Amino acid sequence: MSEPTAAIEPIASVQPKKIRWLKNKKLDQYLVFWVVPVFFQVFGLVFVPLTWMMPPMSPDKPLADIVTFMQTSPLELALSLYILVSGLGAVVTVGAYWLVLARMAVSPAIKYAFLAGQVIGSVVGALLPVSLFGLAGFRSGYDPETLAMFYDFAYLAYNGSLGCFCLPWLALSLAIILDKNRILPKWLGYYTAWQYVTELFAASVWLTTAQPFGWNGYLAFYFNMLLYVPWQIIIFFQIYKALKNQPEDELDNVRLERSLPSYQAVPAYS
Amino acid sequence: MWPPLSPQMTPEDVAAFYREHHSAMLGVVVICNILGTVLVPIFATIAVQMMRIVNSSKVFAVTYIAAIAMGATAFIIADYCWGVALFRPDRNPQLISLLNDLGWIFFIAPVGPLIAMNLCLAGAIYLDARPDPVFPRWVAHFNVVTAVLSVPAAFAITTKTGPLAWDGSLSFTLRLTTLAVYVGVMFIVLLGVISRQGDEAVEMPA
Amino acid sequence: MTSSADAVMTKPPTTPPGSQLAGEGSMWFFIIGDLIIFSVYFVFYTWHRGINQELFLESQLQLNQGIGFINTLILLTSSLFIALGAQSVHEGEYRRALALMRTAFFIGALFPVLKMVEWLPKINAGITPGENLFYLYYYIMTGLHLCHVLLGLVIQAFVLRHLASEKTPDAEFVDSGAVYWHMVDLLWIVVFAMFYLMR
Repeated sequence: MSEPTAAIEPIASVQPKKIRWLKNKKLDQYLVFWVVPVFFQVFGLVFVPLTWMMPPMSPDKPLADIVTFMQTSPLELALSLYILVSGLGAVVTVGAYWLVLARMAVSPAIKYAFLAGQVIGSVVGALLPVSLFGLAGFRSGYDPETLAMFYDFAYLAYNGSLGCFCLPWLALSLAIILDKNRILPKWLGYYTAWQYVTELFAASVWLTTAQPFGWNGYLAFYFNMLLYVPWQIIIFFQIYKALKNQPEDELDNVRLERSLPSYQAVPAYS
Repeated sequence: MWPPLSPQMTPEDVAAFYREHHSAMLGVVVICNILGTVLVPIFATIAVQMMRIVNSSKVFAVTYIAAIAMGATAFIIADYCWGVALFRPDRNPQLISLLNDLGWIFFIAPVGPLIAMNLCLAGAIYLDARPDPVFPRWVAHFNVVTAVLSVPAAFAITTKTGPLAWDGSLSFTLRLTTLAVYVGVMFIVLLGVISRQGDEAVEMPA
Repeated sequence: MTSSADAVMTKPPTTPPGSQLAGEGSMWFFIIGDLIIFSVYFVFYTWHRGINQELFLESQLQLNQGIGFINTLILLTSSLFIALGAQSVHEGEYRRALALMRTAFFIGALFPVLKMVEWLPKINAGITPGENLFYLYYYIMTGLHLCHVLLGLVIQAFVLRHLASEKTPDAEFVDSGAVYWHMVDLLWIVVFAMFYLMR
């Protein structure tokens, strides 16, 4: 009498791709991860073609031009779009990094310092400036001096938010450098330290309106962007790599599955 | 603040309103300042229960916590705006009206964090791998519906009239009613979840 | 029967001493990048100096060359002791290394003190970063450098703790710290030349 053959799982490649994707064990992590490009698309749309808030206008703009800009741009629509996705900001600034931070063998204090700094920065450095721009366009007939004050306030809060980003970048770079699990490569930790340094560079926007140190300055803004944009792209890909390479037995749901009495190991095909 | 100030009021009317109801409004502002974070513990409890959910990681729970902080901060900023507007009643009416606008914007519009929280909780529940899930599945559907109903309020600043304006049926009534119902329902759900905690049929791996 | 060729092949290759990179690769990434970032600032400084020659010259004359010179000596001496200390670690002389590194640390710690001696009278006299473009550059560049010095001292403190507590210290870690301090020294020499000397 032949032994009954063990139940054989369908070979993975036979399953339709959509179901395979939904059955992905790391689905929650991938969902959080893929929010990042969506968020940046909307963010970029809001700040650039919709309103031309970025690249930043000159701090020395004449009053009349400031008034024209603040009252005629579709700032409210842009603001609304931003507000809608500002919650996604929580996902992008915290969630996406938590994918790797949680796995690093460093003190939880560093991780929670990162979280706190990002939350503060999202409100003070992003929601506040965008709200101020939106407010300026809400009614016509505001006093030009008041509009100019909001113009300054918004750009200073956006380009000049320093400490609330110094903290998370410093925490992240320390976490990467000190991490014994080497989730992310060490050189990326040093590159992140430069993000911290760019926050120090940006301090000059509070002191002057002239090039190269004003909020639209070559050194205080454009050079910082030159350092920031490649870093954001690189860390995004590195997080993806770390996510893909995460071994299955580290996943909570896989470990739970394997500990259940009903679990049947799928025979491995050699 | 009931019924809410119409966005169409002129600055002089707004300033007059502030002068008229000065002490009552100041009382509300101070109370809101102190109680501004009163909803945080219930959201924190939801977050703690989310930590028990078994996805591949705790990402949704941590993002939830970050979003709580963002939402609470926006509410407090709204409160400060109104507080500053009330502080010197003989200020230029234009400035009082401006601060009033800013307060309303920060009160009604920041639905982003709430939507993110709802979607995180829904996602976590849908992907819960436990044989006896922490939250019943209908809670996830409920959260998605809440998120969708909160969306219009984000556009409150684009108009001064109609249902989308900050005193309108979509932005004000719908958004605040949704929030109130949400908190009430989640409170009852949490009672059930917490009482079931510890009764797991299967030993959870550490 | 093994041929002589096989015998040669089975011996592991020996690297001559000193040809390997001192310190960790990622620290070199950091150092080279840092040097590039500072260079960009130096280039901009030179360009603006070309445009505003009179203003810059006038402001430069107010700088205290003496303190700048002493600071240069401080960093050079401190670097010397660190290099000797790192060499001692390689030779296995851990007690001597610790003594040399401690000396380097205390000499280096004089830099921030002298910096304050230089800055505070200026700030009290009303010469702040917002004064003119030259002073903005000056305070930003020397401030940035000071941050690097402070970081270097923190790194040295960790190296000292490591040397004092470990039986066999990690030479690569000590080297990384030393190389960082040499970079800080190099940056100061350029800053000193550009701000204090170039007239």
